[in-house]
Amino acid sequence: MAIIERPADAPAVIGESPAQTPALVTPTAAMGVFKRPVSTTGWKSWVFTVDHKKLGIMYGAVALFFFLVGGVEALLIRLQLAAPDNTVLSADLYNQMFTMHATTMVFLFVMPMAAAFANYFLPLQIGARDVAFPRINAVGFWLFLFGGLFLNSAWFLGGAADGGWFMYSPNSSPLFSPSHGIDFWVLGLQITGIASLVGAINLITTIINMRAPGMSLMRMPVFTWMQLVVQFLLLFAMPVITVALFLLSFQRNFGAAFFDVDKGADPLLWQHLFWIFGHPEVYIIILPSFGIISEVLPTFARKPLFGYKFVVFSGAAIGFVGWGVWAHHMFASGLGPVSVAVFSAATMLIAIPTGVKICNWTLTLWGGKLWFTTAMNFAIGVIVLFTIGGLSGVTHASAPADTQQTDTYHIVAHFHYVIVGGAVMGLFSGFYYWWPKMFGKMLSERLGKWNFWLMFFGVNLTFAPMHILGMQGQPRRMVVWPSKLTGEGFFNLGFWNKVSTLGSFTIALGVLLFVINIIVTTKKGAKAPLDPWDARTLEWMTASPPKEHNFDSIPTVHALDEFFHRKYEEVDTDAGPRLVKVKTGEEVLAIEEAAADAHIHLPSPSYWPIVLALAFPVIAYGVIFNLMISVVGAAILVLALFGWVLEPSVADDTDYDPPAEGNGPTKELASIG
Amino acid sequence: MEQSKNMVSRAGGHRSSASRRYVGLAVGVGVLLAGCAKNAPQDTFQPAGSNARKIDGLQRELFYISGVVGLIVFAAVGYAVWKFKDRGQDIPEQTHGNPKLEIMLTILPAIILAVVAVPSVAAVFELDKKDNDCVINVTGQQWWWEYDYVQGSTCGGVEITKSIVTSGELVIPADVDVLLRITSRDVIHSYWIPKLNGKRDAVPGRLHTLRMQADQPGLYTGQCTEFCGLSHARMRQAAVALTTADFQTWVTNQTADYVAPEAGTLAAAGEGTFQAQCSKCHQVNDLVDGNGVPVLAAPDLYVVSGAAPNLTNLMTRTAFAGWTFDLITEECRDKLWNAKPEEFGALYLQGVTPECFDEAALRTWLRNAPAMKPMYADPAKLAATGGKTRGMPNLNLTEDQIDELIAYLLERK
Repeated sequence: MAIIERPADAPAVIGESPAQTPALVTPTAAMGVFKRPVSTTGWKSWVFTVDHKKLGIMYGAVALFFFLVGGVEALLIRLQLAAPDNTVLSADLYNQMFTMHATTMVFLFVMPMAAAFANYFLPLQIGARDVAFPRINAVGFWLFLFGGLFLNSAWFLGGAADGGWFMYSPNSSPLFSPSHGIDFWVLGLQITGIASLVGAINLITTIINMRAPGMSLMRMPVFTWMQLVVQFLLLFAMPVITVALFLLSFQRNFGAAFFDVDKGADPLLWQHLFWIFGHPEVYIIILPSFGIISEVLPTFARKPLFGYKFVVFSGAAIGFVGWGVWAHHMFASGLGPVSVAVFSAATMLIAIPTGVKICNWTLTLWGGKLWFTTAMNFAIGVIVLFTIGGLSGVTHASAPADTQQTDTYHIVAHFHYVIVGGAVMGLFSGFYYWWPKMFGKMLSERLGKWNFWLMFFGVNLTFAPMHILGMQGQPRRMVVWPSKLTGEGFFNLGFWNKVSTLGSFTIALGVLLFVINIIVTTKKGAKAPLDPWDARTLEWMTASPPKEHNFDSIPTVHALDEFFHRKYEEVDTDAGPRLVKVKTGEEVLAIEEAAADAHIHLPSPSYWPIVLALAFPVIAYGVIFNLMISVVGAAILVLALFGWVLEPSVADDTDYDPPAEGNGPTKELASIG
Repeated sequence: MEQSKNMVSRAGGHRSSASRRYVGLAVGVGVLLAGCAKNAPQDTFQPAGSNARKIDGLQRELFYISGVVGLIVFAAVGYAVWKFKDRGQDIPEQTHGNPKLEIMLTILPAIILAVVAVPSVAAVFELDKKDNDCVINVTGQQWWWEYDYVQGSTCGGVEITKSIVTSGELVIPADVDVLLRITSRDVIHSYWIPKLNGKRDAVPGRLHTLRMQADQPGLYTGQCTEFCGLSHARMRQAAVALTTADFQTWVTNQTADYVAPEAGTLAAAGEGTFQAQCSKCHQVNDLVDGNGVPVLAAPDLYVVSGAAPNLTNLMTRTAFAGWTFDLITEECRDKLWNAKPEEFGALYLQGVTPECFDEAALRTWLRNAPAMKPMYADPAKLAATGGKTRGMPNLNLTEDQIDELIAYLLERK
């Protein structure tokens, strides 16, 4: 457990016996570092927070902002492609647009939005009061924010990256991409990469060490399970892309020759490195959504997830096999028939655990008592849309077929069904499901249904025609497509391109309604009860929104779906046993609150995470423009590191204004982090 | 669209209508997929050669299986959504699954996939064979393809006695499996003629092979499909299949001696202009200057990729500049593209005739090439490339020079 409770006169360091030095270094004595920013209201309570819930909300807000940015980029791309030989965007701008659309959606929306839910709900789902390393959690968020802003600042400093999100070498070398766009891209992703990596370490530690008593691994909610798999994928995948980005960085900025044919290198090295990261990345994107709908479907079907073990193990299996399929992105690269055959077979293999999940979700609905809330609609939408994306994926698992399909719109259709239909719709399911818990306000179901159906039809309208476009010969990443290649008849490729553009605006309208929904219900929405959906897991067994310390008393877990089993009991009736609700959520919570822990200690806020994170973009600007700026950034980094380690792990009483009562750190105690 | 009407009238969400919407959706997707374009020139579902047909067979099988599986899943979801909606029934029994059923549902897709995997793997090896007599080197560069017919190769009985260097249109004998040896001079490109075979990347420093066979004479369009920078969209190509006799005629013409323009004509003036303005990069075989010294192009001094299209027989091709801009009128192009196999060869071998010649694109190109096709040819921004351009720069030609050049180029066939 991260939160250590001990009497006020005990030493600050665990493991040290009270008989030894009881001396506690006060912050003022330790090199005069600042008082800790202990305010609980105002902007300081957000900027210096280490609370996993506040960080989760900030992750979500920033990710949503980048979702809108990436969405506008997508609309511009679709406008350009709406008509043959169109001139909305120049070739240069178009190339930047599709590079940044993908980069933004993958790295600055889907991943951090999943991180938002993980941050907010993992501790709640496992009955903990925070994550294992709260300050590291905070630094992760700030690195993500600064990295994302840094990446996008390229638009205003000479143009964004123009090499595609896959950034194939040698097209990414300065000779072929002379602007600084790719430098911004490389360094920006390095910064957000640190965020992902420290986040992964933090959440793995949290899940493994901080579960409530009784919560064995096989009693963990599926969302937590899928996040655990995702964090392991991140832990192993991020180092690979980090290495690749360093190679590219050195190639661009310091004259290295890792991918230079003239100097004896092979450009395929980049492709291998990129896709060894890039394919697990696909599962990093999709598994959180699988987790979310595995929570939503049972809740609104009023029965447990069908085959919990199979879903968990197939998630883990995807996590393993996902490492052995990267070269299916390279079937046309010229790897030779043996590699191609092996990777083709491995790719088909991964369809099996994915299929298992779809079957289990469907069977979860089977025999249930289905309540079609917006969250439920989105979850069912995921089953349908992800199935389409998964099946079109099978059509290019076969390597010879893929040589026709790769780099055409058929692939664009496939992965947008997976990412938008699977991941994004799943995240929206999460929004509608968890919003009442996060903000204590119900989102409007009426607007929500509009939002869902617009997005659902929009996704099909946008991406279904792309199957046709691709199979009938329209390649990707082309700023213009000529009218002479559109074919004949009413349903020619021009028609389908227009339908697709229309669809993209339908999705945009759906997203707009979501934003309106947030604004309207924040102003005058209904107050949410603590358990609006009659839900099943621990995050609902607390107030809406949860108190800062999550639970008054740490619950003891007896079963999977613990909260449900505290509310429902089997009662014998004349017609045999019946499941009856014996307690409301409020009543369950009241019992818990009656047994509240006497001392609850939370990690203290800190200045240093944001300062530390700020150093990185400064260093990165220096790498691009002038190394002297990097020196300044490095100085900030060193300062922040010193501040971080010298900061007592706990806020001293004298940090408070007026000072807290007691002698030494009594108000709050430290976490191990 | 029926669904969207349904959606609008029911919005606000009545639980009972959800199931109908899902069923409607499945139908909608089906309708969508049925509505394909007719005669799209790059339709992968209309293979015109043995290699593409092999892939098409696999592909169709995959689409059918996927379609059936998809329909089963949609039917199951649709049924569950309709059957088990909340009608006030009891809270269901809290069952946690059915291991037998689940094991079955794991094995079933495994069997289906095994059925697909075996022919896929077999096809991988078959398509990789390299037993062809006819070998053509294909080199990609920003943003066009160069073909080099290997001397000593035998293509459908026609021996290539002298290397032929051309660009844009890959001319092959029909019904002969030729082997392309593909590489690149700069970034990665990918060669794709959808009706004849899948793609193969052109990677600098590596040689990849791709088989190409067309059953019938005809023109099959394609496109570079690996993103290769600024003008990736304007890097196209075509394969042209001819009967063996027609192919022989084509080879003879390509290897024929240079015929200088008649003295005193506009074209003769054009030859001089060509030597002054174009021949630094563009080769015309056997061209000699006033002193009888051969004029040799040295594009490696001026262009990043180190190559520029050989223009010896420019007017035997129907498009230029990465096969992007037409040399012939739209009418002539449509006639050629849609010609019957038995009429195609004669039509193609005419080359660009005076009746079909459409000078608009060529003239605009000669006035200012980078304005038509972005190529990073801005002389102010060439520091990174040591002054070399990545395509044809603006040569600031006068209208008279352009008239002369067009007259000269028209005779290159």
